[in-house]
Amino acid sequence: MSDCGCAGDEARSVERVKVVANERLAAGIGLLTLHAPRIGARVAPGQFVHLRITRDADFILRRPFSVHGTTRDGIRILYQVLGRGTRALAAKRPGDEMDALGPLGKGFRIPEGVAHALLVGGGLGVAPLALLAEVLAERGVAVTAALGAPTADRLLALDVLEVSARQVLLATDDGSRGERGFVTMLVEGALAASAPDVAYVCGPAAMQRIVAAQCAAAGVPCQLSLERLMACGVGACLSCVVETASGLKRACCDGPVFDAEEVRWDVAQPGLRH
Amino acid sequence: MSPNPGSGTEPDLSVNLGRLELRNPVMTAAGTFASGREYAGLVDIPRLGALVTKGVSLEPWPGNPSPRIAETASGMLNSIGLQNPGLDAFIEHDLTWLSEQDVPVIVNVHGHSAEEFARICERLEDVSCVSGFELNVSCPNVDEGGMAFGTSCEAVAAVTAAARRATRKLLMVKLSPNVTDIAKIARAAEAAGADAVSLVNTLLGMAIDADTFRPKLGRVLGGLSGPAIKPIALRMVWQVSAAVSVPVVGMGGIMTAEDAVEFMLAGASAVAVGTATFVDPAAATHIIDGLAEFCRRRGVERVSQLTGALEA
Repeated sequence: MSDCGCAGDEARSVERVKVVANERLAAGIGLLTLHAPRIGARVAPGQFVHLRITRDADFILRRPFSVHGTTRDGIRILYQVLGRGTRALAAKRPGDEMDALGPLGKGFRIPEGVAHALLVGGGLGVAPLALLAEVLAERGVAVTAALGAPTADRLLALDVLEVSARQVLLATDDGSRGERGFVTMLVEGALAASAPDVAYVCGPAAMQRIVAAQCAAAGVPCQLSLERLMACGVGACLSCVVETASGLKRACCDGPVFDAEEVRWDVAQPGLRH
Repeated sequence: MSPNPGSGTEPDLSVNLGRLELRNPVMTAAGTFASGREYAGLVDIPRLGALVTKGVSLEPWPGNPSPRIAETASGMLNSIGLQNPGLDAFIEHDLTWLSEQDVPVIVNVHGHSAEEFARICERLEDVSCVSGFELNVSCPNVDEGGMAFGTSCEAVAAVTAAARRATRKLLMVKLSPNVTDIAKIARAAEAAGADAVSLVNTLLGMAIDADTFRPKLGRVLGGLSGPAIKPIALRMVWQVSAAVSVPVVGMGGIMTAEDAVEFMLAGASAVAVGTATFVDPAAATHIIDGLAEFCRRRGVERVSQLTGALEA
């Protein structure tokens, strides 16, 4: 526990970033494009930035966001309005400045020799998977993406995945697009059809737990991007701990990506509360 | 103190904490900075007045169930619960690293009993990079020790006296604000041999989620920090500095150099920065810069002149 994953990580810094665009994609869902050349050049899939959204004294903590994509001179963040921080983020206009601490955390690992990867996203969980899909495609890895959402308009990042993935499988709770039901159904089929070399998962805790079990049963190594409330983002405050087979680890710097087999589901693992 | 604007010379930021001279009055608050390594590269650590470590106990402590934090208006609650890998791991991993940093280290010490506090001080007495100890008798997030000691004059005196017998280094006692008369507790620490008192630790608080009908913290109760508690902390620093003759280290919601000045005017000889570091990793060094700037602007030659300079 004392060995910090991010201690002395020279890639991270506090960067003054500027809003380039802030688009509303669906009710309460936004896509933020930031001018952030330093972070954009250093970020790896699965890493996050810790944004100081406001300097008002009313709410003080930074908010962590997965990096959804990179641009020539910055990054994209996909967000859902859930509380004060994301409400303030939704109100940002082009030209507004913030500061971003990052890139932070250990992202997705791409083992040697991976030829086929399954990406599983539930709702906003697609946020870190889009950048991962792009990087995998660049490396010649065949990507199958399985996405689930409540309704068709909440199936996000399809434009990115349609370019990077060989196959995109969709499910919605109401059947408005793709299969009717949960993404876990798609995973069952995808694992049976052609065993991927690795699975990458992000989404609600309940869904992650099921997908982790499905992958374990199929003998497919699985990596989960976990979400926790955090204050410092760099491993100091111990707010964001995750119960693992080797004790408590920190989502911010030992993760946020963990091997599924390492995560203990037999103890309460509260995810982010809204 | 009569301000003398525009004197132009570099202000002297050094302050004295009894057995320890600090190059400036700004230290990290225990539990917000780990042992510093996590912030390496983000903060110029040798510039700190002192680095106060996260609480260290004799044996490893697992800490509390999640969620461990909740944001509140102008502040945050935490219920981390002193999770730490224990003294041996601290010595092996953190002290090895700290000994290579050019910064005074104050080890925050936590125990279940007065004897445990003393044993930790004893083990670290000959470690040259350790400049002093801060006895944590004020953590609100543990069932044994912590605040249970810090709310009783007798227990504070017993813990302080036991630690005093174990060390010749700076001995500071961190006080809980969750008491009726903090000055009385401070006097008990002073009488038992404390070289300084630091205050305040967090205020016991609670946050509830109206949507789920549940407490927001896994432990239900937690400690409130941040700007929300600053007026209370200032009041207590003012009361305690009037009651004791040892130096007072003030903390509680310090976000800016101006906040630090206010604590010094209330009677603090030095200050600690905690929650602000979560917002801005370099908050402590920004506050040091701001203090120097304040002194230059107001013609204050020595920052220590601000201590207790509150005018009626």
